[in-house]
Amino acid sequence: MNSDDNLGTSLAGFTILEIGNQLGDYAAMLLGGLGAEVIKLEPREGAASRRIGPFASTAPDPEQSIFFWRYNLNKKSAVLDVDAADAPPVLAALASKVDIVLLSGEFETVERRLPLWRKLAEENPRLIVCTITPFGLDGPYRALRATDLVQMALGGIMAVCGYDPGEDGAYDTPPIAPAMWHSYHLGGEYAAVAMMAAINFRELSGEGQFIDVSVHEAVNTCTEVAIPSWVYAGQVVMRQTARHAAPSVTHARLSTSADGVFMLANLSPFERELRALAELADQVGIVHVLGTPEFVELEKEDRVAAAIYRNDLLGEVVASLPANEIFKRAQALGLAWSPIRRPEDNLDDPHFAARGSFATIHHPELGRDLRYPGTVASDGHAPHFSYTRRAPRLGEHTNEVLKRAATR
Amino acid sequence: MSSEEPKGRRALEGVRIIDLTWLQVGPQATRLLATFGAQVIRVEWRERKAIDFIRYTPPFAPDHATADGGRIQGVTRGHSNGSVNRAGYFNNTNPGKYGITLNLNHPKGRDLLRRLARDANAICENFSPGQMDKWGLGYEELRKINPRIIYIQTTGVGKAGVYQDYVSYGPTAQAFSGLTFLSGLPEPRPPAGWGYSYLDHSPGYFGAIMLMAAIRRQRLTGAGCYIDMSQSETGLMLSGTSIIEHQITGKPTTRYGNRMPFLDWSPHGAFRCAGEDNWTAISIQSDEQWHALIEEMGSPAWALEARFASAASRKQNEDDLDAKLTTYTIACERYDLMHRLQARGIAAGVVQKASDRFDLDPQLKARGYYVDLPHSEIGTWPIEGFPAKLSRSPADVGGPTGRAAPKLGEDNEFVFGKLVGLSTAEMAALTEENVI
Repeated sequence: MNSDDNLGTSLAGFTILEIGNQLGDYAAMLLGGLGAEVIKLEPREGAASRRIGPFASTAPDPEQSIFFWRYNLNKKSAVLDVDAADAPPVLAALASKVDIVLLSGEFETVERRLPLWRKLAEENPRLIVCTITPFGLDGPYRALRATDLVQMALGGIMAVCGYDPGEDGAYDTPPIAPAMWHSYHLGGEYAAVAMMAAINFRELSGEGQFIDVSVHEAVNTCTEVAIPSWVYAGQVVMRQTARHAAPSVTHARLSTSADGVFMLANLSPFERELRALAELADQVGIVHVLGTPEFVELEKEDRVAAAIYRNDLLGEVVASLPANEIFKRAQALGLAWSPIRRPEDNLDDPHFAARGSFATIHHPELGRDLRYPGTVASDGHAPHFSYTRRAPRLGEHTNEVLKRAATR
Repeated sequence: MSSEEPKGRRALEGVRIIDLTWLQVGPQATRLLATFGAQVIRVEWRERKAIDFIRYTPPFAPDHATADGGRIQGVTRGHSNGSVNRAGYFNNTNPGKYGITLNLNHPKGRDLLRRLARDANAICENFSPGQMDKWGLGYEELRKINPRIIYIQTTGVGKAGVYQDYVSYGPTAQAFSGLTFLSGLPEPRPPAGWGYSYLDHSPGYFGAIMLMAAIRRQRLTGAGCYIDMSQSETGLMLSGTSIIEHQITGKPTTRYGNRMPFLDWSPHGAFRCAGEDNWTAISIQSDEQWHALIEEMGSPAWALEARFASAASRKQNEDDLDAKLTTYTIACERYDLMHRLQARGIAAGVVQKASDRFDLDPQLKARGYYVDLPHSEIGTWPIEGFPAKLSRSPADVGGPTGRAAPKLGEDNEFVFGKLVGLSTAEMAALTEENVI
């Protein structure tokens, strides 16, 4: 395979000017991982995302935000107050030298900054201007306040995530917004999709354009059968512990391994999977009736009782061995089971090491390397996204950027 | 949405994608390409195991729904009635695509696929690893026919690496990567996980991002590429700051429910409102907002207690705080509460169910988020839209077909006749031979 095939440099030569907050960090970083240069313009006190924890230091410090580090790999930082009276000439000079301007934040902030960019886009017709706001630039909710939690609520993900109801069908636990920051992940991924479409369009037509991304809509796209269930059948799906929301409560449940790890171990109603469960039970010496005429009879007469039996047996099997052992044995039999790992459990997994899933990033200030999740795909040899530089310190590249603005 | 736009203004005009994917993760990526104008050709075969499983998955269109009707005829729980063309989720996942039947277990079927691949920009599949190689249709084979081809394959853990034979669906990948663990109330409660296959969605968005990066380069330089997507790896990308924080602190990652451990925000959660299982999320981001909330509640004595005076002390007493705040919210109508708090500058939002998002959400309505598209058997249904407006090359979920999902093999004549150039007699013979 030819290393030129790798996508990690496919946007080389592209420059993105990023202005805003945590709504835009990830989108710009994704295109940066495909080779685009990303210049982040920050106010004197630093971008808002520098104030989000966790922090590597004991007290909050804009240079120690792990959140900022994570979503700003490969970028450059220049301090420039884009709202100051003397900013427009500098921004105009930059506008002629960049390909994409990404404006993110609350509606009022983005709305206030847009007129300048409308004017600059007229002067630079190839310019792509992308905004990311909580609800989009128009509509009755456009100016509402939002946080990740509120977006996950209004966007519908919360309503389908959480714990089983009690036996009376009533919920005694709240809907859950899965951690962490998924509304910004979704807004960022869709912004990247839209920017890639605009980049392709520019290659065809020579024209730039405006893109108006709504985080609210991005979250809304991501709830699987929830909307179709309502639209086609008038059914509202119910949230259930660690499994799919469905119009009614399903029988499956979480199992725990011998070493106390929760396992995702479900059975599909296929003969192949039932045989695999029977085989696993035999391996660990658990006596069972799967495959016997009695069980076949039970399946015919009382499907619920049969399902409960299968799930109880599954629970016993999982409880008989440590999680990683169950995982290996189940996978060898074609069962799509997995331990419910902590994210960091993957740092030492040989599979991800072999794929280069983690990018090793040097932090000179810490005097050490940190490993960042850095790709979603491989070209067979190397990751398709390329991350090599830690997030910039505030204003680390101010001189370089201002000098570029000043050159013709 | 963009029906008045001239058809030529599409970002992926002239791009052809051979889509061998099924379920959600692959079709999600190709759906986005169709949205920007690519000609996506969905390949299935007329045997149960070669037909997309979600064609058999409820919800189905109501039994009374007909080609010239649709949702306008009313909504009730329907059945497949022996048809593979009535599934609503399939319809929502595959708008804008062409649909053909092609038997890849037949040598003539594989020849036809090669003919299609010769002029295609990209081929997408999510078979078990190795299946395409067994057919002689893997990347190395196809690039001999078409050196420019982009080949994307999506699997649970990824083809390269040591677990290449592992079986995995979205929920497996979520559990494996850490996303399931991160969701839910603190231990000893178990994880709540995700109520759907999140990792069948996000890797689809990434698939579209990478395909479009590859298509642009292909147009400019003629280079192709091979993309081995891993759902689990995507899960790592989405595990936020936890993996990095762990390397610094050495402490195991913990769950924190709906609270906000990374900022001085409190109260922060979903609060029960009047009615059955009704909740409104509230995020208080400053003491000023806390005072505004107190005022909105009519300054109850509990809220003025010293232990709730600062963000730090509210966080220390958050269980009590949540319980007290619920004594107020429990009597409130959920949307009324949201709007009263918003009027005071507080981030608040109803935990919207699908019915709320479809029937009530005025923002989605105003933005034209749901798009009505016709289907040739079940009529016109609202399809989930694209979450951004592009001024010059607009997103159009109806794609080049202007339709919702294709019926099984609906476009055989167009694809094999017009695109491949087979005669009517040739197509009839191939149908007879069980090839198309």
